[in-house]
This record gives sequence, structure tokens and C-alpha cells, in this order.
Amino acid sequence: MKRSLDGLDEGELLRRVARGDRLAFDALYRRTAPWLTARLRRRCADEDVVAEVLQETYLAVWRSAGSQAQSSTSGSAVGWLWTIAAHRLIDAFRHRARRERVPPVQTFETVAPAAEDEALADGMDANLERALHALPAELRQVLRAMVLDGLTARETALLLGMPEGTVKTRARRARIALREALS
Amino acid sequence: MTTHPTPTLISRYASGDAGVDETTIWAVEAHLESCAACRTVLTDAVDPGTRDLLDRVADGIATAIATGPPPVRRTRLRRTGVAARILPWLVTATGLMLAAALFEWTFDSLPSLVLLVAPVAPLLPVAAVWSRRVDPAWELTATMPRTGLPLLMRRTLGVLTAVIPVLAVTGWFTGHSPGLWLLPVLGFTAGTLALGTVLGVDRAAVALAIAWCAGVVAPSLADGRLPAILTDSSLPGWALTTVALTAVVLVRTRRRPHQPHQNLMH
Amino acid sequence: MMRTVSVAETAPSTYPWVVHTEKLQVRAGRHLAVNELDLRLGTGVHGLLGPNGAGKTTLMRALATVLKPAGGRLTLLGGEVTGDADLRAVRRGLGYLPQHFGFYPRFTVREFVEYIAWLKEMPKAAIPGAVQRAVDRVGLTDRADSRMKTLSGGMLRRAGIAQAIVNDPAVLLLDEPTVGLDPEQRLDFRELLREIGLDSCVLVSTHLVEDVAVACSDVVLISEGRLVWQGTTGQLTEQGGAGDAGDSATERGYSSLLRAYRGRVSA
Repeated sequence: MKRSLDGLDEGELLRRVARGDRLAFDALYRRTAPWLTARLRRRCADEDVVAEVLQETYLAVWRSAGSQAQSSTSGSAVGWLWTIAAHRLIDAFRHRARRERVPPVQTFETVAPAAEDEALADGMDANLERALHALPAELRQVLRAMVLDGLTARETALLLGMPEGTVKTRARRARIALREALS
Repeated sequence: MTTHPTPTLISRYASGDAGVDETTIWAVEAHLESCAACRTVLTDAVDPGTRDLLDRVADGIATAIATGPPPVRRTRLRRTGVAARILPWLVTATGLMLAAALFEWTFDSLPSLVLLVAPVAPLLPVAAVWSRRVDPAWELTATMPRTGLPLLMRRTLGVLTAVIPVLAVTGWFTGHSPGLWLLPVLGFTAGTLALGTVLGVDRAAVALAIAWCAGVVAPSLADGRLPAILTDSSLPGWALTTVALTAVVLVRTRRRPHQPHQNLMH
Repeated sequence: MMRTVSVAETAPSTYPWVVHTEKLQVRAGRHLAVNELDLRLGTGVHGLLGPNGAGKTTLMRALATVLKPAGGRLTLLGGEVTGDADLRAVRRGLGYLPQHFGFYPRFTVREFVEYIAWLKEMPKAAIPGAVQRAVDRVGLTDRADSRMKTLSGGMLRRAGIAQAIVNDPAVLLLDEPTVGLDPEQRLDFRELLREIGLDSCVLVSTHLVEDVAVACSDVVLISEGRLVWQGTTGQLTEQGGAGDAGDSATERGYSSLLRAYRGRVSA
């Protein structure tokens, strides 16, 4: 049984989960949860929050798999999974924002890419990469939340703990800077 | 062939290594989202701490799944509930047409009841899909961005798709040319929507149905023959009317695309 | 999967208030139920209080773009609602729970909230996750796939809240949301309101002064379609004296303000 699941892509696993298949669900978890955890950790330093978000995300996948299987694109892309997790993460931030601030991951000092890091993914050409690299860290951070993580300006504000107006200003500045760098 | 990040880079990413610059992280994340092979590399590279966390969460999920409901499989027909709501009206329209066909077949001295009734047959269900009296969620629907003409058109087309086959069967059974029932049906539907921009769709439907019955059906039953507007010579007239009325609907709603209190809604 | 961020999304907010009315007039039938009301609301949870017939529901329906204002100005999220304006963008940012929440009895909670999410023009791929989240947030997880006709009054009310919040609205209008909720659900609901109020403008119409005291940061008091008083919950409690009717400081503040207003009007 496990063998047969190994050959399936995530879209097919999801369709099986929609039929109540626990083994398919476990396989989906084994395959995607490490990735999701790494990505969440890059955005939230609090281990408990990451664990909570992870659990809520996969429970949401289990419970809504019937609808999810219909609307998510097939194949191995798992952007939909990140969308669920990102919203749950923002909710966790909302939850804590009223009591104590969740310590956000510190913005890294920009370090020059090492030679081995230069082999890069599709969807990011060298020009765009250089342009992003030249952006000030605080602009890039906003851009990452909105473009890569798919958050709205309001959600970005909660994630980064800054006013919505600042998020919008920075996004505009980032856009202008990128346009200039790419032209 | 796409370029994959090196396994070393993936493992540095997974372990939260702060030495990887942000642009690289961005690229790695964008790639991982769509590349199952690299996610496998990442899965094999996670540190024992993360493994623990993953196992802990897996236990929590298992407990919650055991106590909660299983996933419910969805059918393709997601919005059938709306259709079910107007089902009685569709059944009424169908019944009306079948009765007309039966009468026509039994009493061949009468003018064609099928042709006389057909134009107003879809009006009842069309009124029902857009009536605040029939739609319990009307108040909510009125506040939605996807309201107004596109939604009305969608629902009207739904009604027509349900009604036209019935008309086709009765029309074929009584041996009339398809144009004679189809064009009046389309004309009256367009007319309802056009008048609906002023009166509201449900009132417009009722008004047109009454006007047709009083002005055409009753006199022709009294005369014992079909009126001139239901003969082959009037087909171009029906076609023109339909096109003109559809244009009226489009123009009127284009001018006030999503007006809050569009009469269409009332 | 990189998202395209539209220019409109990052445009600076040029409006100081999320909800802004100036001399707003709204009719309920022939009667002018909202009469020259001036109101400014920003982010936070605002409680809308007033005696029966004060025009609370009519005001809510006008803010939800169900009713067309008869006069004055109404601006939501910087968009003018009064004229023949295109309301599509504004409506995408709205969430609304009507006082009489009409639903399709044969739909399950999930189907209904999905249908509303579709009507709200949410991206198709985001709908299942957003619906599950909304259902979880109102505590209906176990009943998500029950038909709505089998739900109790309190559950229906929560399903109504779920459809209102499914699109993360910037303006959330809840007309009597706590009707039918038991005390424990009421506590959960207040917690949810406070969280939503962190980054949204929430207006809660209620006849329960106590709900306002606990869940709201601000209070809007209207009577006969006019604004009587607006201030923080703390300021409301300071308004009442020992001689005012009511079991709590908030209730005493409420009755004191209303009495003073009636005195001014009749004088």
C-alpha cells in the first residue's frame, strides 16, 4: 500500500484524502510537512506557534479535503498548502498580538551569496535576483510577504508588526526600485 | 530542465542557517513550492529537533482526527441548492407545457396552445430566481460584489437550459417549427430582464405574462385561430425584438454596473 | 507560485476613516429611520447601541449597501456609496450579518459559506482553506458538513458570522450577532471580535449593553436616527451616576446619556 502511494503526486494524494484515506493523508504529511515547517520557521521563531500552525493547517486540509481536491490544481505544486498555513500563522500572530508580541524572526544581515548558492531556481532570473539583492532589507521583507507568501497588506502588517501604511509605502518603493533596476 | 538548488543549500535552508542571504532563500522557497524532488531532499535533511516537532504534531493531528468528523466528499454540482429552490417553479412550467401539448393533441379544433403558452413558460422560474420573496438569502446576495447582471444572466441561462428541452419535446410532439416557440421564448425572457431594470424582475415577469394572456391568448382562444404574430411571417420581427431588448438590458446595466439598489434586485 | 501585487493594493489609503457618514439619511419605508447622522469609524470594535426603533438596523443595511441613502454622504473604505458608483471593490471588503439571516436550508454550512465566498469573488483556489478557517474561527468545525436546517439558533448565528468573515473583510457589520448564543459561546465570540478588530473596522449592533462593555473598544449611541454620543467604553461607564437606571456602570452610563439626550430634544 505504502509503495503504491509513493508513486503518486500531491494532487492525487489529496484526492485520496478527500475520500477519507488516512494512509494518503499520512503520506501527504510526511512529504510536505518538513518543507512547511522550514518555511514557517523562517517567519516565526516561536517553536510552539509553528507546531500549532502546522497542526491546524493539516487538520484544515483533512477536514476540507473534499472541497480542496476540487479546486486545487493537480500535480505536485503545493502553493495551496502554504496559503492555508500563512493565514493560520497570521491568526496566531493576531492571537498573541493582543497580549505579547510574538518575536518575529530577525531580519538577516545581507550576506553576499556564496558560489554554491548561485545555482538558482526557475521563476527567478538572474536579473530579478540581482535587483532583489540590491533592495534594502526592509523593502525586501515587505515584498517577500506580499509576493512570495501571498499576503495582503493588512496581513503583512500583522506579520511584520508595522502599520499598514508603512507596508504599502515600502511595497511601492520596492516596486519602483525593482522597475528601475530591471529596465 | 530547471535548475535545482544544491542539496547543501537546501539543508542549510532547512536548518535555519542565518548565513544564507535573503534573495537566495526567496529563490529556494519559490522553487520548493513546485518541486517535489527538492522537497524530498529537504525531508531527508531535517535536523532531529524538527523531526521531534513533526512527530509531536503528527500525534496531535491523529488525536484530533480520531475525535472529529472525516472529510466529506463533495459532488460536482456545488450550487444545486439554488436550483432545488426553484425546482417547484420549473416543475410548474414543465407541467404547463405538457398540459398545453395534451390539450392541443386532444382538441385539434383549438389554436395551438403550445405556441400560445410557450413564450410565458420560462417567466415563472425566471421571476423565482431573482425574487426577494423567494430567495431567503436575498439580503446577503444584495451586498455581494458578484451581484447584478452577471449573476442574473447566469441564473436566467440556467432556467432556459432547463425549460428549452421541455419546449423542444412538446414542440416536436405537436409538429411546430422550432423558431415559432423558441424566438418568442427568448424575446419574452429578454423583455422580462429589460422591464426588470425598471420594475424588478419578478414584477416584470408577472406583468408580461398577464399582458400576453390578456392581449393574445384570450383573443385567439375566442377567435379559434392563432394570431398573426405567431406565424412564420413574424419570425424576423421576434428576432429583431429579442436583439433589441437584449441590447437594452446590456446598456442599462452597463451604465450602472453595480449600483446598490438596482431594480434588478427588487 | 509568485503572486502579482496590484498597484491598487499598495496605493496609499487616502481616507482617514474606514466608515464615514455625513448628514446621512436613510429611509425605512416612508419613515426617515436614519436622519442626518454623522459618524466616523476607524479600525477597532465599535458597539452600536440605541433603544428599539433608533435606526440601528437601517443604518447597518445602508452601510452594507443594501439600502440606498436618501441623502447625505456615505463613504466606505474611501469609496463613495451614495451615487451610481461601482460598488464592486467596496463590496469585496465587506462582511455583513443581517439581523434576519436568510440561508438555504438544504445547504451544508460549508456549502453555504463557499457559495458566499464565491459571490464575494474570492480566488477559487483560496476558497476551501478560507471557508475551513472561518468555520473553525466561529467554533462550528464539528458541524461544518451538517445541513443548515438541522442547526440550532446559536449555531445558525455562528454560521452567519462565518460567512461574514470568510473574506477577511476590512469592514465587518454584525447586526445582533449574539442572539441565541449561550454564555460560553458569547465569551468565545467576544475573543474573536477583539482579534478581528485588530486590523478591521467592526461595527456590532446589539441591544445587550453588557456585550458592548466587554467586547468593544468604542461605543456609538444613536436614537431616533441621530448620533447621541460616541466615545470609548471607558468614557461610557464614567457617564452614569448612582441615580441612573442599570445594573452595571455601562448600563448606567447608557441610560444617563439617553436621558440627557431626550431632555435636550424635548427642551
